[in-house]
Amino acid sequence: MLKAMLKKEFSLILRDKHALAALFIMPSIFILIMSMALKDTFNTDRAFIRYALIDQDKTSISSKIASSLKNSKTLVLHDEIITDQEQLQQALNSGLHFALTIPKGYSAKLTQNDSDRILHLDVASDVKQDMLTLFKGELTRITMQLRIQEMLRELEPLLPGITEKSEAAMQSMKNRIEVHFTGLEPDQHPTSTQQSVPSWIVFGMFFIIIPMSTIFINEREQNTLKRMQAMNISIPVLFIGKVVPYMLINQIQVCLMIGVGIFIVPLLGADALTLGNSLAGLFMVSTGLSLAAIGTSIIIAVSVNTVEQATTIGGISNILFGAIGGVMVPKFFMPQNMQTLSNISPMSWGLEGFLDIFLRGSDARAVLPESLALAGFGIVLLLAAWAIFGHRTRNGL
Amino acid sequence: MIRIKNLTKRYDTVPALNQLTMNIGKGVIFGLLGPNGAGKTTLISILNGLTAFQEGEIEIFGLPLHKNLRQIRARSTFIPQSLALYENLSVIENLRFFAGIQSITGSTLQKNLDRAISINHLGRILEQKAATLSGGQKRRLNIAIGLLNNPEILYFDEPTIGIDPESRNEILETIAGFKKENKTVIYTSHYMDEIEKICDEAAIINHGKIIRQGQLQTMLHETDDPSMTLESLFIHLTHSHREDFNA
Repeated sequence: MLKAMLKKEFSLILRDKHALAALFIMPSIFILIMSMALKDTFNTDRAFIRYALIDQDKTSISSKIASSLKNSKTLVLHDEIITDQEQLQQALNSGLHFALTIPKGYSAKLTQNDSDRILHLDVASDVKQDMLTLFKGELTRITMQLRIQEMLRELEPLLPGITEKSEAAMQSMKNRIEVHFTGLEPDQHPTSTQQSVPSWIVFGMFFIIIPMSTIFINEREQNTLKRMQAMNISIPVLFIGKVVPYMLINQIQVCLMIGVGIFIVPLLGADALTLGNSLAGLFMVSTGLSLAAIGTSIIIAVSVNTVEQATTIGGISNILFGAIGGVMVPKFFMPQNMQTLSNISPMSWGLEGFLDIFLRGSDARAVLPESLALAGFGIVLLLAAWAIFGHRTRNGL
Repeated sequence: MIRIKNLTKRYDTVPALNQLTMNIGKGVIFGLLGPNGAGKTTLISILNGLTAFQEGEIEIFGLPLHKNLRQIRARSTFIPQSLALYENLSVIENLRFFAGIQSITGSTLQKNLDRAISINHLGRILEQKAATLSGGQKRRLNIAIGLLNNPEILYFDEPTIGIDPESRNEILETIAGFKKENKTVIYTSHYMDEIEKICDEAAIINHGKIIRQGQLQTMLHETDDPSMTLESLFIHLTHSHREDFNA
C-alpha cells in the first residue's frame, strides 16, 4: 500500500516541471548566487570602502594622511578629483561611500591639541553604521599616529632616539592579535560559503510547501482523497504516504545543495563548502527540518480551500519564517528583541543546527535539542492537520 | 443488502437528510433522484463511511456500518462525480496505483485489472496519460478504478456528467451489465431517461426526505396518465413537495 503511494507521489513530482524547478533548481541557484555575492566577506585583503579626499590644507601632514589612507587594504580612493558640492553629491549618490575634507589650517590645529572637529566627513546615505565605524576608526588611528609622531619629534632633543624607538615599537605591535574562530583550526577562518550555504539549505527545504500543498488540494478537490478513504486508506496512512516521499525529496535537496557548495561554488571563485565533523548531526538536523517543513505544508493544505490560497499562504509563511529566523538577515545584525523573536521560527532552529555542524565543528549531541525541537514542531503540526482534516471530512466541509 | 432506518444528517442546524428510511435488495439497480442539494451525494458519502451522521441505523451486508466499516468498504466501491484520478499518470499507472493501495496483488490483481480494462474498453489507451484522454475515456477510467476490488455494491454519483451521448450510452450499458453479475448499484443522476433506462427501483429525495420510493414501473403506473414519464412524475412530486415544505 505504502509502496504504491510512494511510487505515485514520486511520479507526480517528477512529471511536474514547476515542482522540480521549485524543489531542486531554485535552491541550487540561491546557493550559487549568495555564495558568489558574499564571497569576499572574510577576505581581509579586499578593498570595499570607496572614499574621496579633498585636501584644502596641502601640507606634509595632510599628504601623510592621504598616503596612509591610500595604503589601507580596505579603502579604495575615488579616481575623480572633486571640485564642487554638486560633483560631491553626484559621487555620493553613485557608489562613493565617504568624502573626507582636510580643511585649510588642519595641520596647525592638530599640533595645538584643538579638540574641535577639524576633519569633515560627507557620508553617502546608504552607508551602514558598521562601515562608518570602520572608516572613522581607520582615520582616528592615522591621525593619532601623526599626532604622536609630532609630539615625539618635539621630545627628540630631550630624549634622543625616542622617535626611532617608538617607530620600532609601533611596527612590532602590528599583527600581535591572534584570532581563533570557535570550532576551527587556529589558522582557519570561516568562509562566506560556510556561513551562507546553511541558510539557503534551510530556506530551500521549506520550498516543498507549495508543490506539496498544491498536490494535496488538487487531490481533495477531485475527490481522490475521498476515494482513497473509501478504499480503507486511513488519514495517518494517507499522511505517511506524503511524509515519506517528501522527506526523501528534502534529503535529496540537502545533498544537492551541499554538492553545489562543494563542487560548483569553487569553480566560480568562492571558497568550497566543507562538511564539518558530524554526518550524523547533519542528518539529524535535516530530518528534523524536513518534518517541520512537511508539517507546515500539510497543515496549510488541510486548512485552506483552494490552491491559490495555499500558494499565497505557503509563500508568505516561507518568507516570514526566513526573515524572522535569520535566513535573510543574519541574527547578529538584528536588535536584541528581534533576536529573541527569531527563536519562534523553526528556520532559526534549523539554521543554528546547521551552523553548529558546518561552522562550529559540533557533533551530533550538540544538535540534538534543535533536531528534537524541529521534529516535535513537525509532529505537532501533523497531529493538528490530522484533526482538522478528519473534522472536515466527517462533516463534509 | 442495504438497510437504512431513520437516518438524519444535519450540517449545523440545517438538515441534509431527515428521518430517511429505505431498503435496497441484492442485484438491484437503484436510482436516487432529486434536485440539487436534495441530499443524494450526502447519502452516498454516509453509506461509504466518509461523512458522519447524527441519528439512525445503517446495515450493509447485514452488518452495522459503523462497526464494520473496513469490511463493508472492501466489498463495495464509490465512484465519485468528479474525476478522482491522477491526470499526470497513465491509464495503467492509475489502475495499478488504486489497486496497490487496496493491497490487491498477484493473480487477483491481474484478473481484476483485465476485467476493469475490458468492461470499460480501455485496452488501447493503457499507456496514454489521463490528461490526454477524452471526457468519455476519463469517465470510463473513473469507473474502471472503482471495479478493481470486484465490488458487490457500486455507488455511482452522476457518472455521466459532461460527456457526449455515445460515451454516455456505453457507460449506461456497462452499468446495466452489472445486474447480470447480481451486483447492487446505487445510481444518482439528474438525467431521468438514464434512471428510466437502467434502474429497477428508485427513490425521489427532496429536502433530505424520501417523497416516493419503489419499483420504477409501479411508480410510473400509479397515476392514470399513460403518458406519465419519470421526468413528469419527478417534476410533479418535487413541485408539490416544495409547496408543502414552504407551507
